[in-house]
Amino acid sequence: MDSSKNAVFDAVVIGGGIAGLQSALDLAGQGYKTAVVEKDASIGGKMIRLSKVFPTLDCASCITTPKMAAAAHHENITLYTWCDVQRVEKDATGVSVSMIQRPRYVDIDKCIGCRKCEYNCPVLVPDTEQGGFSGRKAIRIPFSNAIPQKALLDVENCMLCGKCADVCPTKAIRYDQKPEPRRIAAKTAILATGYELSSVTGKPQYGNGDIPNVIDSLQMERLLAPHGPYGRVLRPSDGMIPDSIAYVQCAGSRDASMGVSYCSRFCCMYAVKQAMLLSGSLPLADITIYYMDIRAFGKNYEQFYQNAKAMGIEFVKAKVASLDAGQGGAVTVRYEDQTGEGATSRDHDLVVLSMGVLPGFAPGGVCPVGLGPDGFIQSVLPKLSPSVTDLEGVFVAGVAAGPKDIVDTITEAGAAAMQAAKYLTALSGKAPGAANKESSHE
Amino acid sequence: MSQDISAALVSKETLKALRAERRDWIAGASALARENKKARKAVMDRLAVASATVPEITEATGLPPDTALWMVASLKKFGEVVESEKDGSFYRYALAAEAAQAQEA
Repeated sequence: MDSSKNAVFDAVVIGGGIAGLQSALDLAGQGYKTAVVEKDASIGGKMIRLSKVFPTLDCASCITTPKMAAAAHHENITLYTWCDVQRVEKDATGVSVSMIQRPRYVDIDKCIGCRKCEYNCPVLVPDTEQGGFSGRKAIRIPFSNAIPQKALLDVENCMLCGKCADVCPTKAIRYDQKPEPRRIAAKTAILATGYELSSVTGKPQYGNGDIPNVIDSLQMERLLAPHGPYGRVLRPSDGMIPDSIAYVQCAGSRDASMGVSYCSRFCCMYAVKQAMLLSGSLPLADITIYYMDIRAFGKNYEQFYQNAKAMGIEFVKAKVASLDAGQGGAVTVRYEDQTGEGATSRDHDLVVLSMGVLPGFAPGGVCPVGLGPDGFIQSVLPKLSPSVTDLEGVFVAGVAAGPKDIVDTITEAGAAAMQAAKYLTALSGKAPGAANKESSHE
Repeated sequence: MSQDISAALVSKETLKALRAERRDWIAGASALARENKKARKAVMDRLAVASATVPEITEATGLPPDTALWMVASLKKFGEVVESEKDGSFYRYALAAEAAQAQEA
């Protein structure tokens, strides 16, 4: 459905990741008109960027893409991508979301996603969608299965050479597009704003991001993805096939010095998952996981962990003290082995840091919703109704309420949609479509 | 470098104003495009001789190994380069056109 500048909906979902999409689909399926507001140029969130999911090792995009497509084609869902939420206000009439539609510098009604502009653009910049391991053009479709499949121009890296406009078959390029304010009014809102990883630059002991071949877990997801930057796992400094890969757990969590004193909950399992995938794609490589505790708390997670051990993945109970650049592109890991060797070190070809999980949305000054001490949105009924916030009619879903895995995120998103539907029904006294059904019976 | 983009529904005056407004960005992007062009040519020239690993490309072009790999990965994405056979701890890369010809032959 097309988005318009001022629009009225039954519900607005802020965040178009897996939680937001699940909530929107559940609400739309019940007949509620729903808007999804996403800050990126594509919906899909973090999950569409992953390789596989644990503990089933199902392809992440095979799960996410159908939900993205279903949301995009649903008659009750309107997508607003590439938008910055400025304010979420709640009053007696409902929720009002003010936002800025950032310019794509492309007329999305005209763009057919042919990528001719992208192929002809002469400027290559690091592609953050691929962990920075390959280049993207100044004008591009964000990634191969992005929705919407529409180009956007990074104007800060555009030299206005005109090649994209010249080759565009539908004349969709708009170099002079401006940000546009938009306003959405709805009766209820779901905050599904997800997370960001803490930065590798925040820990001097781990090199502040300056040591070659030290990457974060989302970069490893891209190396493992079939449509990743190299099409296989290679060492980013020189393209070597790594013989020895290490994971440093709690690299950005349970660490008050980084401001993340809490456990990020899903790092243990994604490290185990990535290690299993690596041992499949690089059968001769040594894979080591340095951990403080392995938290395998979900259904079949312990079995998954035991399977990883049985596959030969080495688990070393140790807190890594520091990382240093070693010889020939290696990374020296210094740690205290808690099972006997004491302070020691080992070299690896590639080191993956399991960084901490930070809230993806800082509502301060934007939305008057209550936060917990960790900065995530606080649930007022964490045991009975975890999606209920202190703002009546505003619900929370997924990692916006605290770190959790995909299974719990999807379950909670469904719960948030049910809470929102219950709220809407209580407001009107009728479920959507009930009036139609009643009149058809008369 | 500049082409006629009047067909893009932007008047010449608007374009002139945009060029003035974005002068610093345009200068940065132009410098980047020149660097990209040079690195791309160096990699393509080396691969035109024969398939090569990243260290071989580095040796021939003088590019740092991470830059050489980055350029190869970018060229691979846009279909100009393909991965060839494994060579020790590295993979070889070849020009897509030559690889296709070799396959046909």
